[in-house]
This record gives sequence, structure tokens and C-alpha cells, in this order.
Amino acid sequence: MKFLNQVKEYAKESVQAAKYIGQGLSVTFDHMRRRPITVQYPYEKLIPSERFRGRIHFEFDKCIACEVCVRVCPINLPVVDWEFNKETKKKKLNHYSIDFGVCIFCGNCVEFCPTNCLSMTEEYELAAYDRHELNYDNVALGRLPYKVTNDPMVTPIREFAYLPKGAIDGHEVAHTAPRAGKRPEEIMDEMDRENK
Amino acid sequence: MSRSETPTNWIRMNPGIDLQASFVQALTDLGLPPVAAKILWLPLPMLLMIVGATVGVLASVWLERKISAAAQQRIGPEFIGPLGTLAPLADGLKLLFKEDVIPNKADPFLFTLGPVIVAIPVFLSYLIVPFGQNLIITDLGIAIFIWIAVSSIQPIGLLMSGYASNNKYSLLGGLRAAAQSISYEIPLALSVLAIAMMSNSLSTIDIVNQQAGYGILGWNVWRQPIGFIIFWIAILAECERLPFDLPEAEEELVAGYQTEYTGMKFALYYLASYVNLVLSSLLFAVLYLGGWEFIVPVGVIADLIGVSETTPWLQLITATLGITMTLLKAYFLVFLAVLLRWTVPRVRIDQLLDLGWKFLLPIALTNLLLTAGLKLAFPFAFGG
Repeated sequence: MKFLNQVKEYAKESVQAAKYIGQGLSVTFDHMRRRPITVQYPYEKLIPSERFRGRIHFEFDKCIACEVCVRVCPINLPVVDWEFNKETKKKKLNHYSIDFGVCIFCGNCVEFCPTNCLSMTEEYELAAYDRHELNYDNVALGRLPYKVTNDPMVTPIREFAYLPKGAIDGHEVAHTAPRAGKRPEEIMDEMDRENK
Repeated sequence: MSRSETPTNWIRMNPGIDLQASFVQALTDLGLPPVAAKILWLPLPMLLMIVGATVGVLASVWLERKISAAAQQRIGPEFIGPLGTLAPLADGLKLLFKEDVIPNKADPFLFTLGPVIVAIPVFLSYLIVPFGQNLIITDLGIAIFIWIAVSSIQPIGLLMSGYASNNKYSLLGGLRAAAQSISYEIPLALSVLAIAMMSNSLSTIDIVNQQAGYGILGWNVWRQPIGFIIFWIAILAECERLPFDLPEAEEELVAGYQTEYTGMKFALYYLASYVNLVLSSLLFAVLYLGGWEFIVPVGVIADLIGVSETTPWLQLITATLGITMTLLKAYFLVFLAVLLRWTVPRVRIDQLLDLGWKFLLPIALTNLLLTAGLKLAFPFAFGG
């Protein structure tokens, strides 16, 4: 009797295991009919999010050579080359450079810059044949990145958080369709109307 | 024991196409002596077998990559040929051009012999895969037995290469592979034995013919549901497919016994593993899914539209249908194997051996006993 019970238990467990494997298989099978989430990179590109921390942009004329960026940088990376102009009693900036081969894109310099001459761009394609090419001087830092949405060769795709309500795949909606929720300027407009 | 002597219970015999006879006949008509014609015929099936097996591998590698990609919501190979169909070919070409490295302090002879010993038996086993009544390289009386015998040579090659590589991962992988192959050979053989018992023959042709006549209802799946599952699990273990891919176990053993291999030697392993998968699926289709039989028996359709079975065009259609059905069934099983790969996690070595010895072996024995009993009780349905 005890043996029969053991056999029964064993059979039950086997059937259960088979059931679970079947459930797993149905999950895998169901995934096969879903659209691939692949973004086919050179032809399709994700639009970087609003607070994307890409290559740093620098405006030479705004800089007051205070070196705050150097002090807040974890590795004191920005090189600020200035000299004191005795006539105007002001610092004169000669050169400014950041080596993006070393930069960790933490954005501290952007955060602390008193004159907002530093900013983060959405550029992330920084590949170069020589690591010294990654050392950007003030001219290179002053260039603006080319927008994904302006590139006729590229299909821009939005990230999940920027999709219209109900959409879950950036491939399926045009990147110009309004996103879910209100944009900051819409909220501002609404507040203005309420105040009137 | 040849087919003519075996007492079989097939419902009707379809003569089908006999390519060899037609070929020899055609050459003798041209004035060649029959012996020369036969000798000319000999290399053709061999070549066909090797080419067929390789093309089958390319197809299954492509399928594996595409299905894996689909199961993971990826696209998979896309730009190498239409829909990435040339990707496996590119893989093969790459391996062909790679440097052949034999590691320092490895045993060069055994190291080279290992992949050869692994690859030859699987190609050899294609001899017995039938695609139609006469669409088979050789109709041996002991076909299935040959397959089981020849495929047990494989672990020797695996062990050999694992030992000869002079690498701890290789050695572990080789030992695991040998242990796995040996323990799953037994339930595999036992479930095949139950089939052989029902068809009173070891010949693959007889086994298919025994399932013929009732379309899908006559297939062995319905008579051998337990054997069907045992065979499938054992096949997965024999092919080292994912729930049982311990010998390779990328995450633990680098690549197991293949760790030190590059170039064509690695390609041989790669080829052998996929040839084995396709071969096992083909034999699975033959043993349990009625081989080349269509879902409805072709003879019945022929009778319905009033065409004699010896009509040449009908025979051509039957042969084409047979090949298509066999391949469809086999590739359905390949698909299932790939799906299983991304569904079930790898078992531990102790779980693997537990499953083989403590679960599959007793169940396979019970199944055999049950089949014998049913054969005695219902000889009409279980091949008396």
C-alpha cells in the first residue's frame, strides 16, 4: 500500500513537472509572434531621452575661466588654459579641452558651471581610430551634434517613456505623434489660463 | 533477415519508385554491362547522403538561429543572403579558413582523431533513414540496431578529445559527455525495442509500413505515448541539446570538450552535433510519426480519384510527398527542440543521471513490458 502511494505521488509529481514545462513552452511560443524589439542601428536609431548625458558642449564666449568644472570633476579632467589680463583685471581664456576618452559623463561640470557654458548633448557616437582624437578642444566642443530626427538616412524611434498612451513599441508609431501626458509648455499654458 | 522474409503486417505495399533499378536499366540500355552500371550507381547515394546531411544541417542551423531570435524577440540573421539563409554557410566558410591549432602538450593524434570519430558515425547513420518505400540508401534488416550501435561510438570520440586536449574543462566535458551518452543510450534502446517488438522487425522500412494504412491514426505515437516521451528526452540528451547540454555548458565549462578546438576540427563537432539532431529527428519521425506517411493514406486518395497506384505521375507525387512529409515531421521536431532550448533550464549532472537511471530506465522497462502485454492481448493493434 505504501509502495502504491509512493508510485502515485511520483506520478503526480511527474505530471506536474510536465505541466510546468508545457506552460513554459507556451510562453516561449507566444513570444515568437511578438514583434522584435531590435533597433537596427545604422538604419534605425533611438531618440536619446531628454536628460541624456552625451558628449559635452562648450560655449567659449560664456566661460569665465573659474575652474569650477575642474574642481567638481571626479578626475579633474577639463583643461582650462587662461591668463590674467592686467589691463581689464579679468581672466582671459585661451584654450579649453575635455578628453572624452577619460570622461565618465557624470555631468557634474554641467551642473556646477556658473555661466551655463557647459551642457550635455545627445551625441553618443564617439568612435575614433586614435584615442587622442577623443581629446576635444574648444572648437570641437563647440560643435552641435546632428539630430537623429533630421537625418534622412535614419528612422528615428522613440523610447518607451516617450510613446503615446497605449503604444508599447516605438516601431509602430510615428516619432511625431504626441507622447502620453502633458508637455511642460502645455502645463505652463494651463497654469496661465487658471491664473487669469 | 531481409524484408522479404520478415513476417510483416502491412496493409498494402506501395511499389513506389526504384531509382537504382531505373538507373541501372537506363545504363544497360545504353550498352553498358550491368556490373559497370551498378558500380556507377554506387557513389551516387553516398554523395547524396553527405550533401543531403550537410544541407539539412545548414537548414537546421538557420532555423535554430531564426527561431531562437523569434523566441527572444530579436530578428536574427537578416542580411547574409535572403532572410539570412546564408549565415550558416558563412559560419562554415569562416571555420574553413581558420588556423588549425593543436595546443602545446596535447596529444596530437588523439586530438585529431576525436572529432573524426564523433562525426563519422552520425553521417553513417543516414544510411538507414527512409524517405519512401525505395528512397533509402540501404534497407538493412538491422537498421535501427545499426543506428544505436554506431551512435554509441560517439562517446569514445568525445572522451578521447576531452582527454587529449590537456585542459581541465575539456576533460570534465568529455567525462560528462561519456556519462550522459551511456546513461541515456539504455532508455533510448528500450523505447526503440518496444517499437521493434510491435513491427516484428528492426528495418526502418518495415517500421513505417507497420504504421501505414490508417493515416495519422496509425502512427506509433498513439500506441507508444510513453515510449514517445522517453525517446524524445533520450534524444535530447544524446544530442546534448539544452536541458542536457552539460558537456558543453558554456557558463561552467567554457565549451567542454570543444574548448581547445578551432577551425575545421571545431566545425566537425559543430556539424556532427547538428547532423545528429537532424538524424535523430528524422528517426523520431520514422519511429513514431509514421515516416513518409501522409496524414491521410495516399492509397485511399488514389482510390477515391480512381488512379492506379502504379501510374508514374502518381508515384512521383507519392515520392515527393513522402520526402516532404519526412522532412516536415523532422523539422517540426527540430523546432520543438529549439523551443525547448529557450524554455527549460539546464539540469545539474546529478539530476541528469537521476533522470536517466531512476526515472527513464524503469519507465522504459515498464513500457516495454506493457507493450509485450498489449501485443499478446490485442495482436491486431499491436503487431501480433
